Amino acid sequence: MNRSKIQVGVVGAACGLPLAKQFSSDLARAESISEDGVSGLGIEEVPVCRGETASALALAAAKEALQRAAIDPLQVDVIVDYSILPQEYLVPAWNMGNKLQHELGATKAFTVGFSGGASANVLMALSSATAMLQTDGKLKTALLVAGDVAIPGNRILQTKSPLTVLGDSGGAMVLRRDAERVIVVDAEIKTRGENHDVYYIPAGALANDDPEQYRITVDAARYDAALASNHLQDAVKALLARNGLSIQEISCAILPNLSRAHHARLQEMLGLAPAQVCACKLRDHGHLQGTDLVVNYLAMTDKNALKPGDYVLVASDGMGTMSGAVLLRY
Amino acid sequence: MDTGIGILAASYYLPPNRKPVADIFRDEEIPQEKLAADVDFQRDIGIEAVHVSGEVSAASLAVEASRRAIAKAGMDANDIDLIFDFTSIPEEYVAPTWSAAGLVQNELGATRALATAVNTGGCASYHTTLRVACAMLAANDRYQTALLFAGDKVPELNHTYYPITVICDGGSAVILKKGYDKRRILSVEVATAGKLHDVWYIPGLHNRDANDSKGKWLHMTADVPKFNKEVIPINLFMFRKVMRDALARIGRKQHEISYYVYPTFSTWDQKAFCNAFMIPPEKIFTDGLQRHGHLQETDMVLDYVDAMDEGHIKDGDLVMLTTNGAGFSWGAALIQH
Repeated sequence: MNRSKIQVGVVGAACGLPLAKQFSSDLARAESISEDGVSGLGIEEVPVCRGETASALALAAAKEALQRAAIDPLQVDVIVDYSILPQEYLVPAWNMGNKLQHELGATKAFTVGFSGGASANVLMALSSATAMLQTDGKLKTALLVAGDVAIPGNRILQTKSPLTVLGDSGGAMVLRRDAERVIVVDAEIKTRGENHDVYYIPAGALANDDPEQYRITVDAARYDAALASNHLQDAVKALLARNGLSIQEISCAILPNLSRAHHARLQEMLGLAPAQVCACKLRDHGHLQGTDLVVNYLAMTDKNALKPGDYVLVASDGMGTMSGAVLLRY
Repeated sequence: MDTGIGILAASYYLPPNRKPVADIFRDEEIPQEKLAADVDFQRDIGIEAVHVSGEVSAASLAVEASRRAIAKAGMDANDIDLIFDFTSIPEEYVAPTWSAAGLVQNELGATRALATAVNTGGCASYHTTLRVACAMLAANDRYQTALLFAGDKVPELNHTYYPITVICDGGSAVILKKGYDKRRILSVEVATAGKLHDVWYIPGLHNRDANDSKGKWLHMTADVPKFNKEVIPINLFMFRKVMRDALARIGRKQHEISYYVYPTFSTWDQKAFCNAFMIPPEKIFTDGLQRHGHLQETDMVLDYVDAMDEGHIKDGDLVMLTTNGAGFSWGAALIQH
């Protein structure tokens, strides 16, 4: 349990999606992959950029999230970037958060960003931003933001068969110290260092300059083994036990959108009833990295089905590398 | 502020091979844009030679530095709760998809740890990471110890960061411990100026020029006119801001600072900093410049370690670690010895 009693809550969230969409079947044809292979994923179409940049999507999401939170960009104290896909220039020498700071006019803010962890990177951002707001009296508002645009020709990720279809997106969440609802109660994140290269891009940095290998690559055997293990379950169990809760007391679980099979496996692993997975935008968004958890969070809030005091579990297995969960109290 | 967190151990690793700066200037293309400072870049830089890692990977430099820090701390890698990679230049694979955090976790056998990477701040990424790590330690009872590491290796023909410095390869590591009363981190400040986000950048493979046969897509690139016009005029002002803010957090004044650790960019940069803040030579560590040049964010660790080991920092001293980073960030941290 957190030592600090200072409450930090989610006061706004938004996505910035490109206007264009493409059917998974069309993408499969374009990438010379069997349409049958993608039809079982549960992803009909994904948002795709037609010239928009990742930072433009992120900026749109950030502006919308701040507006929903009724917070002026000048009040933002820290911008936390949880993007996962390659950016306009090479990270970590360059970071989108600084560009956004400028474009938002968030002149008071400083920037932080995290790498790795796939869709669980947003949980790292949530956890660390909460910690900063809880422990530093000078900080009141954090903006979490990401912009992810797939590498051309690299939308369908494969192991033995298609694993997921990548969409393009920007996502943003606003955290506020002393918030009164959607409180970040606690977080538990675990990493398996041995899986650091299960989900990665082999070329494009010091190791390799072969353009053919400049694409997201998934190590099938190790990814499958990771998914078969109980790594995420261990993290969730620890989180719930620390907070005196059982999985049955979770009103809504928010999971990443990789595929139907992945959803089913995580539900089985965590012991979630289907009704607890109350928000999922898999079908018409595909996989948006960490922003999966933001679009599903928004789907949950749009349903207006939760009441004050309900617990929400936001969890991801981070492609076998980073497994984590954040507990929210509505 | 006083975080209640101390620096349990700090260490670094420099690969044994060295390359004279004269040879670097011979082998690399040195731009001819005019410098804002009235100096001759090659003549006045003040660096004799830099370490080059050759076939050794950036992550290996980080692993070796981390092992040294863990040994110095007399602890087991399994006791580490948090691992932060604060490397500020590209590593083996593309970020932010990948970082060396997991690799280092695995190599060290730090199986209990949560490993991640802070990917912003340029050479001030150490300060950004200190701020995040201290917050994570302070906010969570279950976290007691954090390992911060960096491993920097530049492409063979990209040691010159004109008009700033010449780059050395190396790794560094710091272990933070909650409740450790020596080398206590009293405050950390970071400031970023987002409009300067693209003064320094590395294009990346996806931006490779069709005529690039020298691997420049992976080279640090500077917008020198923007650097001269927009960074230089605010640089010392921003240093003053972060140092003042760090001091104000704990109610201390500049005259109470016993010793400064400042980056090893160049002679003229060190001189400008010392003149601006009236810092006498005996209160700042500058020897590293000649020995090894600039090691990105690792300057803050390497020069701090050497200053301690060489007796410049004593018990009771209030030490200021301050740096700028990639044209857009500034950091200041106060350590109570």
